[in-house]
Amino acid sequence: MRTWVRSSASSRVKLADRVLDGLRLGLTLWLVQFQIFLNQTVRSRKPGRIAGFVVGVVLILFWWVNIGALTLVAVSARASAPPVALVTILSIAFLFYTGVLLFSSLLFSLNALLLNPDLEILLTAPRSVESVLAARMVVQVLRMLVLSLLLTFPALAIPSVTGNPAVLPGFVLLLVLYPVPPIVLISVLTLALVRFVPAGRGKEIVALLGVAVGLTINVVNFLVNPAFRGSGFRRATVDATPGIVTNSWLPWSWAGRAAAGLLGGDLPAALGWGLALLLASAGILVVGVLVSGRLYRAGWIQTVPGRHRRAAAGRRREWKTPGSINPVLAGIVLKDWRMRTRDVAQLVRFVMPVIFVLLLLGIRGSGLVSAVQAGGPGPLTALAGLVPASVLLLSLSGGLGLSAISLEGRAIWIYAASPNPIGRLLYAKCWASALPTVVATLLVAVLMEALVHPGWLWGTAAIAILAVQAVTLTALMVAIGGVWARFDWTDARRMMHPAAGILGFLAQLAIMGATALLAAGSVVLAGALHLEMATAFLAALVLAAAGAAVLAYGALVLAADRLRSLEVA
Amino acid sequence: MLATRKLTKKYGALTAVEGLDLQVGPGELFGFLGPNGAGKTTTIKMLVGLLRPTSGSATVAGYDIQLEPEQAKARIGYVPDSASLYEKLSAREFLEFSGDLYHVDRAARDRRIQTLLQLFSLRDRADDFLSSYSRGMRQKISLAAALLHDPQILFLDEPTVGLDPKSAHQMKDLLQDFCREGKTVFFSTHILEIAERMCTRMAIIDRGRLIAAGTLEELRGMAAASVTAAGLIPASPDGQSLEQVFLRLTGSEDDEDMGAILSELEG
Repeated sequence: MRTWVRSSASSRVKLADRVLDGLRLGLTLWLVQFQIFLNQTVRSRKPGRIAGFVVGVVLILFWWVNIGALTLVAVSARASAPPVALVTILSIAFLFYTGVLLFSSLLFSLNALLLNPDLEILLTAPRSVESVLAARMVVQVLRMLVLSLLLTFPALAIPSVTGNPAVLPGFVLLLVLYPVPPIVLISVLTLALVRFVPAGRGKEIVALLGVAVGLTINVVNFLVNPAFRGSGFRRATVDATPGIVTNSWLPWSWAGRAAAGLLGGDLPAALGWGLALLLASAGILVVGVLVSGRLYRAGWIQTVPGRHRRAAAGRRREWKTPGSINPVLAGIVLKDWRMRTRDVAQLVRFVMPVIFVLLLLGIRGSGLVSAVQAGGPGPLTALAGLVPASVLLLSLSGGLGLSAISLEGRAIWIYAASPNPIGRLLYAKCWASALPTVVATLLVAVLMEALVHPGWLWGTAAIAILAVQAVTLTALMVAIGGVWARFDWTDARRMMHPAAGILGFLAQLAIMGATALLAAGSVVLAGALHLEMATAFLAALVLAAAGAAVLAYGALVLAADRLRSLEVA
Repeated sequence: MLATRKLTKKYGALTAVEGLDLQVGPGELFGFLGPNGAGKTTTIKMLVGLLRPTSGSATVAGYDIQLEPEQAKARIGYVPDSASLYEKLSAREFLEFSGDLYHVDRAARDRRIQTLLQLFSLRDRADDFLSSYSRGMRQKISLAAALLHDPQILFLDEPTVGLDPKSAHQMKDLLQDFCREGKTVFFSTHILEIAERMCTRMAIIDRGRLIAAGTLEELRGMAAASVTAAGLIPASPDGQSLEQVFLRLTGSEDDEDMGAILSELEG
């Protein structure tokens, strides 16, 4: 008995040591990651990265100024305004934060276990397994803390200065404690799940998960968002807050009550609920670390041996291209199609926008069609009917076009060493990106035009111009992506340079906006000057298409020039 | 087949390759030797057109690689060290794509693919994704792709790394057969035993500079001459291994005693 008690106490001490060691190791790991971040940005000696860092800091400061101003207004108005249900609002905020934590923790844990090679390095170091796994959890907590503070610092600092000084440190403590249970639970769950993930499929699992969450959020938004309810866009009344938000047995309610106590100056309440959260977080952390260690030692971290993935050899089709098509062009288009469709992380760039538009049409399509049909036959109805296809066009041209050149990745040497000019690569990439974009957008456009009945002339003209826009816009995106091509990526999410993303988005908006303005303007002008509307409308669309084509051509010339100077080190 | 004139590559203040003058004729199996970081890969990348020289020129298969890149590249086969490939293509699809890039006639391409897959014992895995290939298998597929368009000169960067002994022997035979047809192989390595067994001529590069070039006998002579110039009595040049020649010519014989360094670490 005495031996059992002594060994039990001894094992508890050892577990406590491991958890504490994990906390220290986690802090060290986080500092190393911060150092890596600085080395990749401010200390990189690359003007682009330093500029990106400076822009990021400016944006954060801009955000802080706005949040600070809003907070000052809220604090000033609070004295004269009716009392606000702080507990309810803050509990809702923490409930929402729980969703963010669950999703980000799942991605982070999967990434850490399946894709990040440093876990092996850590596990071969003279540290206990529990310490290493606890350290991972601590890193995630610290990351979420930093992100939360970046978003909310002024909103916490101002009440701390103008009212209760405990607000800022209290909220920091809450933001440290609150993420612990969801992060620990997800980490343990991931350790159990990874057993069933085939080796080498980690990136695809993470990409699929991202897609699933994105779709879920969009479906929920379409279904419950009052702005989308009923026919048209009438707002529905807000339902009463469900009890799940403020139930005092649930952790987001504890955090909400503690936070409300801090803001309201009720320190005993804040301390009481904060203590409950502390005890729960500490308990879950200890149990989670213990369970994680057991799972690891039981061999659960080993993933399933992967099957050799094969191209469809049994059903292999010989792709015969007409003799008039350049084999290099055909080869690149076919190669890109295979790469896009066989890699989940690439496939989502094509599939997600299509699914999103189909969901939109499926859930809210009848309302949209009715609203557009109400305008009667004519050019404006034809243009309005193109909206879903235009949304799809923007997504696909950006997703496929901007990443087209970067899709080569580290294998760019294969083309660079071949006897082919760089212009041919750009041309082939335009085809490879434009083909699926044009097909998908035209399908949606034809469907919508058939539903809204703008008249055959207007509908045909609108579809024709959309086809031309699809080609020119995609080519423009390929060019922009070529100017800022990235070939050193290992994660498909990092294929696109941020500058390319921003410029591509602005260019798309400018072209689509200009097209819409020209078309609408031509209708108005035709009416005012008693011109034939069909001629004016078509002339406007042709002008818009020509402008986009000129812009795309110029961008392609620039991209070709940039890529010619490419060195494959 | 290959001629460089004062070929130089600088990265800012760092000179990776300086004033390289080389001549390699048809039918030669030429070894480009040097320690890690000597400039071997940088040189090869300049010769195949992946890097632009800071100064100097290179003529490959009769064409200036900078002024007539497409004509030169059409006659070059290149296998990099640790080749990055298209992970989601099968080996067969990758070879078909390579054949298209090099404008190989479809029928000839398919025939050669079959032959090369057989030669490298990859027929059973031809339809597997390249992501499932080991490093050695990737090396073989890269070599198959380089041979597909029947090049006149092959550039190989550390070609035997990752290959099992059977495959390494197979590659040696393949390259020697290639040279017997009057074509040229230019390969870099830091494994001197391989160079000693395979190469007809060699060059040694160290810290971006060409130290020596010639046959093994010529290099032995140079090593002996450098010992004499240092006022020492040279050993008989006959039978000196390439390693000994290399160490002498690169001045590495006088490097710090590793044992002393290890003792210091333990202390």
